[in-house]
Amino acid sequence: MNRREILKIAAAIMGAGLSGSLSQNVLAGLSPTAKPSRAIFNANSSKTVAVLAEMIIPKTDTPGAIEAGAPAFIEMMVADWFNDDERKIFFAGMASLDDFCKEQFKKSFLACDEEQRTAALKDSEKSALSYKSAAPAVDISQKYVDPNTPFFTKLKELTVLGYFTSEVGAKQALSYNPMPMRYEGDYDFDKVGREWSW
Amino acid sequence: MQSSFDFDAIVVGSGVTGGWAAKELTEKGLKVLILERGKPLEHGKDYVTEHMEPWKIPFGGKPNRELYARDYPIQSNCYAFDETTRHFWNNDRENPYVFDKEKPFYWLRADVVGGKSLMWGRQVYRWSDLDFEANKKDGHGIDWPIRYNDIKDWYSYVEKTIGVSGQAENLSQLPDSEFQPAMQMNSVEKVIKQRIEAAYKERKMTIGRVANLTEPLGDRGACHYCGVCQRGCSVGAYFSSHSCTLPAARKTGNLSLRANSVVEGLDYDPASKRIAAVRVIDSVTKEKSRITARMVFLCASTVGSVQILLNSKSESFPNGLANRSGTLGQYMMDHTDNISAIGITGEFPGKYYYGIRPNGIYLPRFRNLKGRDTDVDFERGYGFQGMAMPLEWKASAAQTPGFGVAFKNALRQPKLWVMALAGFGECLPYKDNRILLDDKLVDRYGIPQVRFEITYRDNELRMQADATKQAAEMLKAAKMGFVMPVGKGGPPGSAIHEMGGARMGLDPKQSVLNAHNQAHDISNLFVTDGSCMASSSCVNPSLTFMALTARAADYAVTQLRAGKV
Repeated sequence: MNRREILKIAAAIMGAGLSGSLSQNVLAGLSPTAKPSRAIFNANSSKTVAVLAEMIIPKTDTPGAIEAGAPAFIEMMVADWFNDDERKIFFAGMASLDDFCKEQFKKSFLACDEEQRTAALKDSEKSALSYKSAAPAVDISQKYVDPNTPFFTKLKELTVLGYFTSEVGAKQALSYNPMPMRYEGDYDFDKVGREWSW
Repeated sequence: MQSSFDFDAIVVGSGVTGGWAAKELTEKGLKVLILERGKPLEHGKDYVTEHMEPWKIPFGGKPNRELYARDYPIQSNCYAFDETTRHFWNNDRENPYVFDKEKPFYWLRADVVGGKSLMWGRQVYRWSDLDFEANKKDGHGIDWPIRYNDIKDWYSYVEKTIGVSGQAENLSQLPDSEFQPAMQMNSVEKVIKQRIEAAYKERKMTIGRVANLTEPLGDRGACHYCGVCQRGCSVGAYFSSHSCTLPAARKTGNLSLRANSVVEGLDYDPASKRIAAVRVIDSVTKEKSRITARMVFLCASTVGSVQILLNSKSESFPNGLANRSGTLGQYMMDHTDNISAIGITGEFPGKYYYGIRPNGIYLPRFRNLKGRDTDVDFERGYGFQGMAMPLEWKASAAQTPGFGVAFKNALRQPKLWVMALAGFGECLPYKDNRILLDDKLVDRYGIPQVRFEITYRDNELRMQADATKQAAEMLKAAKMGFVMPVGKGGPPGSAIHEMGGARMGLDPKQSVLNAHNQAHDISNLFVTDGSCMASSSCVNPSLTFMALTARAADYAVTQLRAGKV
């Protein structure tokens, strides 16, 4: 863990905002059955998003992104939460995955095998890493995210948010306990084994 | 003098102080009407998002950006504003106010019965004579007409009624409250406390003093640590007007409450030198009415009450009601409020917590306790709220590169803890930090809009800089792995600790209210919300507002019975 990485974490914490009660910044989610107000993905992009989400959070001993309903969450957010510019970046990002696969492997992203898809997504991540956000790194009032982040960043954020705020994610990847009834400030992580959902 | 009245008393506002005024006055046998400009709200039933499952919250908890930009550009800056609480807040588009772009003010307002008591941070701290004597000693503002001894018993009374958990520390600058058992610090905070107190003999870190019950109190249940108080709590585990004061007032059979009732102004009768009536506009029907009472308690919030007084002009009071001194609307204050520094540590990888504590830690003021310290360049002081917490998935996901099994596994367990210290600084009372009525712009009821002219000055900024420096040094002394000074906060109003504008004082030529929150010139007018404050201390003010309200209600009824109101 170098200084720069910690700084970035700190910036993320700042983004969550702190007043008297940091713990009150509720992390929230949506039903895996969430439906976009309008269909925005065709069959091909729906399938692509599902494949991508599962690549980011695959099924292991806990459910993966698909089982948690993250792809539907992503479609809803792209349709109803993204603005036009963000939507453009998202669709262009999916298209560029296809472009990469056609150039490298002479077939579409969906026609590629797992290894080839991984190479494509890694390429997408690589180009995302070079992006420097114009938003100040340390700004506690930064409630709105940077709309210009690259496709990979957007995809990963929505996948993670959709996954952990889903019912499956909250109850199986995290531990959901809305009525703790007591507070213990010294509690070994191993006693719960998963982070709390709240 | 008038012989029949609609009510014995009218209380304007149903928030922290309005609820207290209504409780005290009804329990003393008065027939009371509360006028609340916000929408009706029923305790429990209307907490529609309480314990809402994470997967049912719109947009994964992300802000509804278009809507916020249009309707909530101010309110959405508050940490307690999101899709689970939006229905409690004021719509900025429908309730405009005025400020110069270079001098923004965040006027954060509720729009429901119960006011901000529903979403408040619940931190409660007593003032001490360090605070009550500050104006007199350093010459900023005017002397308070009361001292700690005048309010001490009222603090006790309020604390026993609302329920305050905390730890007695026997500090002269921060008197202990009547405490329910304290909440625990977490294991990281405990270590940090030990290290800070070892490095700085005169500093103390204590658990936050909070109006959340750790034991049942009357009909109210103890905290169940769900962690989302601001959505409303149907068991009443935290103090709000709904959990505590309004039910007590209703129990007497003496309370009437009208929601959707915007008070336009107060009518003054020069013959009797009294408030003759309250002018009300129904926010739904726009119908206007006049309601009479033997006395009026203004508890409409600091800015709200001053606005009503400024808008109540008459031949006798051409510059606003109770404004012979000319100070109405002046000497406004908030607290500077911002993260001063954060530190991150990897020292406690296996430590976690059980339950979501609705509270943090508090590090009381340590500057200028015995006169001006030699090594500081500002008057008065600041205290820190803070908290240590593990970095969970939302923080760690964005910082963990890659994807797939390794990425997923990396999010399983928090490895780092972050400790934040947020400085709350006392703001001095300045004559030209003021609110006034705009001479052209009116709101949808035809009431002149409030114009804010409030900025922080050198003293506030120097104090903020010192808080940043001290916070960073303390976190370093606590051996945090990485410490980042932050320091900058939002504009005035951000702390939601706005105070002043109708200050108390001994001299009617320099103040609006006397030592009992009674208007100097008008015996049946009491103002007991934050507008009465002559200085701001650095501690969260609501407890003091409540104690002053209970004290004023006691005085008012005594005077009423003696025929002096």
